[in-house]
Amino acid sequence: MGILGKDKKGSPSSSTSPCANLRAAYHNCFNRWYSEKFVKGQWDKEDCVSEWRKYKACLSEHLEDKHLSRFLEADEGPLEPSIPVTDGKR
Amino acid sequence: MVKALTQEYTYKHPWERVTCAFWRKFSDPENKRMLPYIKEVQTLNQKLDPATGKLYTTQAITLHAPGPWFIHKIVGLDICECVELTVMDGRSRSVQLTSRNVSLQKFIEVEEKIQYDPHPDNPSGWTICRQETGFQIKPLLALSPVAEMVEQKCAEKCVQNSAKCREVMERICKFLEVESSGIAI
Repeated sequence: MGILGKDKKGSPSSSTSPCANLRAAYHNCFNRWYSEKFVKGQWDKEDCVSEWRKYKACLSEHLEDKHLSRFLEADEGPLEPSIPVTDGKR
Repeated sequence: MVKALTQEYTYKHPWERVTCAFWRKFSDPENKRMLPYIKEVQTLNQKLDPATGKLYTTQAITLHAPGPWFIHKIVGLDICECVELTVMDGRSRSVQLTSRNVSLQKFIEVEEKIQYDPHPDNPSGWTICRQETGFQIKPLLALSPVAEMVEQKCAEKCVQNSAKCREVMERICKFLEVESSGIAI
């Protein structure tokens, strides 16, 4: 099980997932951008665009779960998330 | 049969640091040992709205939730897929996240809402985290005589996992604090 297809003998751990390196590259870049720019109010543009594209291309190829791929495909949709997050009540 | 559980926690660190730790908690390899139930995290979507300073993120989280034998017997799986939506509002310094399970929905629906805001008593130095977890056993499982027990176990697991998560967050905050003071000196 797990999000991505695993190699036959490998156990489901993140280090074996085919996009692990691209994900790490993107997350490192993102964390730097977040702490050095976003929290200081510099949110005029996103860095890490090329890292994101590479990582996302890998996910599009390997993501098996249909529940999840619709979130990936929803990329060009509106910015507002589909699950309301602001209402305090359930 | 809806149960909700609320938890509140104060981080004695500024909002900026706590949210940095929030993003790092799944990517740091050392945390994987402390959060063994998290099998995999993928970012499915990340979008910045430069006009409002809001950052929208969709993450998929694979959880290993073995639970007691009777759950395993009924559900037949011990892996659960969740989707987590995060809205980071840089302008008002607020984070709201909502996670939901997208697998096993026939049996149980879990929704967790977490919010990180500057603490009202010390807005520039502390951060308050409010967490609300709701779960609902679905009819298929509710008919079973173990439904009550499943609910109980879910609540226990939730509290345990939140505590572990806070521990990891605190550790990263400490690390970031030392790092930033090192640069300042």
